[in-house]
Amino acid sequence: MSKPKPRQKSSLWLTALPLYIFTLLFVLGPLVYMVVLSFQQRAEVWGVLNEYTLDNYLNILQPVYLNTFLQSFKLALASTGCIILIGYPFGYFMAKLPGKWKGRMMLVLMVPFWTNSLIRLYGWIIIFRANGPLDALAMGLGLTDEPLKLLYTYPAVLVGMVYVLLEFMILAVYSSAEKMDWGLVEAARDLGASPLRAFWTVTFKLTLPGLLSGVILTFIPSMGLFFIADILGGNKIVLVGSLIQDQLMRAHNWPFAAALSVILMAMTSLMIALYKRITHTSELEGIL
Amino acid sequence: MKKLISLLTAAALCLALAGCGGSGSEATRQVNLYTWENMFPQEVLDAFTEETGIQVNYSNFDTDETMLARLEAAEGGDYDVVLADDYIIETAIAEGLVAPLDKEALSNYGNIDPFYQGQFYDPDDTYTVPMGSGVQTIVYDPARVSVDVKGYKDLWDPAFADSIAITSNFRVMNGMALKILGESYNTSDVATIQAAGQKLLELAPNIRLIKDDNVQDDLLSGEVSAAVMYTSQVTMACLANPELEVVYPEEGVGFGIMAMFVPSAAPHSAEAHEFINYLLRPEVAKQVFEFQGYYCTNQASYDLIEPEMQDYLILPEEFKSNTEMIENISAEASEAHVQVWTEFRSACGL
Repeated sequence: MSKPKPRQKSSLWLTALPLYIFTLLFVLGPLVYMVVLSFQQRAEVWGVLNEYTLDNYLNILQPVYLNTFLQSFKLALASTGCIILIGYPFGYFMAKLPGKWKGRMMLVLMVPFWTNSLIRLYGWIIIFRANGPLDALAMGLGLTDEPLKLLYTYPAVLVGMVYVLLEFMILAVYSSAEKMDWGLVEAARDLGASPLRAFWTVTFKLTLPGLLSGVILTFIPSMGLFFIADILGGNKIVLVGSLIQDQLMRAHNWPFAAALSVILMAMTSLMIALYKRITHTSELEGIL
Repeated sequence: MKKLISLLTAAALCLALAGCGGSGSEATRQVNLYTWENMFPQEVLDAFTEETGIQVNYSNFDTDETMLARLEAAEGGDYDVVLADDYIIETAIAEGLVAPLDKEALSNYGNIDPFYQGQFYDPDDTYTVPMGSGVQTIVYDPARVSVDVKGYKDLWDPAFADSIAITSNFRVMNGMALKILGESYNTSDVATIQAAGQKLLELAPNIRLIKDDNVQDDLLSGEVSAAVMYTSQVTMACLANPELEVVYPEEGVGFGIMAMFVPSAAPHSAEAHEFINYLLRPEVAKQVFEFQGYYCTNQASYDLIEPEMQDYLILPEEFKSNTEMIENISAEASEAHVQVWTEFRSACGL
């Protein structure tokens, strides 16, 4: 990667000033507000009191709430695992395609993005629903006599997660495999390494930053994508996101919702820090 | 020169940012209506404009909480007529965001069914006009269920394994268990709420789906065989499949009222009253309720409602005695409810 040119001394930065003000006001502002809120005391029915407390954070330590973090973590881990299994080979082989096909493949990957992910997920509902296409297929083939009850199950949620997040992994792996010097693999082969060993010692190591950034790009959102568990899982997995929603909208306990959000953010920041430590880079691969 | 241009651009952009939200002209009379999506048929709003020249600006919210937060930010201004749920109106009144109604301006006020008046959120009917009511009923498909459902307790029957849909309003759902235990929806006793939670956990194996919107689709498609639903969903489900059985739970019927109010700093208060009075006309109310699918709160329009919809839009007399509304409760009790609910949902888990 080339070094950035030394900045020209100019007053052009002034034109960016409104953007900085905008960012400070609308990005940093709410964050600070959220952190402050998380230390406040809720009012009896609506709003917050101007009293400060650590109770909201202590409240998270109750087993029932810790369990939601565990559930979120498990689901994120399972989705990321599936995504690696499909996405890594996909990205890897896509980088080996001839140039013309790379572009076409990229287009095929991008087209679904033109439709809102929520709408695409409703497509899965139609596929999974009782007496839907999958049921009809299974019954037509004589595999089963009655509907399989596919919708509102854990696998249905996993399919939704993988479907929504897979692209991020593919693009991340692809972009690091694309940059790779395939000559190194040839050199390893010439020096007597088996194909597997060459892959493991050269290709895998060199595409690791892509893979890891893919993991970050899929794991972190999957901690928060509770609407997929809602609509494909029938709301039966309690993720941190849906707990925050319940606290905010129904229990009117804003400070507790804020505390949950702060912890969730701290966890994701920790993951990004970990990524930087492992790969020694500050940029995520594959964010185009 | 370059510096000057940059400065000017910066200044212009700042101004543009600050300039957002200027007010329009006041030449035409208008009323700013704030409620959920699809609460009023367009013909009704158009007819009002045609008759009075008052333009109706319909903006919608997705949840009561969003509405209250917005109204709070506007200090009771911006909107002229708000239609929302009972419990949030109680809070809005307590926060000083609601203006008393000018009954002189509401000549059709007498059309309201008194059953829906004098409730907890507005005991003296100072602030609100009810505009629709819903109850929680159990709907099931007798073709797929052998159980004779009489009340909530029958949902605990093992025959319903993995085949019930419930709503995600935890006060309503924990409330089912409270009702089975013979308690009130609004108990503030944490031990009682926890006992209800234990009872609710036994229901977990029967739950297939927890969902608020369009539950009727899952009942109609056969995804679930029974569902606890709100009135408008029940109406849609029964119109699509008249074979469905509707059960008013014998343990007691939970119900809610939607009511209209005029915010404390409403910019067009006179037009707001004119609009509310228009909606209270029997023939207008008929149109609105047939469109909404909620229980009609306007007794003058009961006879006008189409015969095939009468059953769905008018709350049967015999159930009026066994009803209870869900009210705001203490922070401690509401915390106990969330815990019970979170535990229950995890138990439903996959």
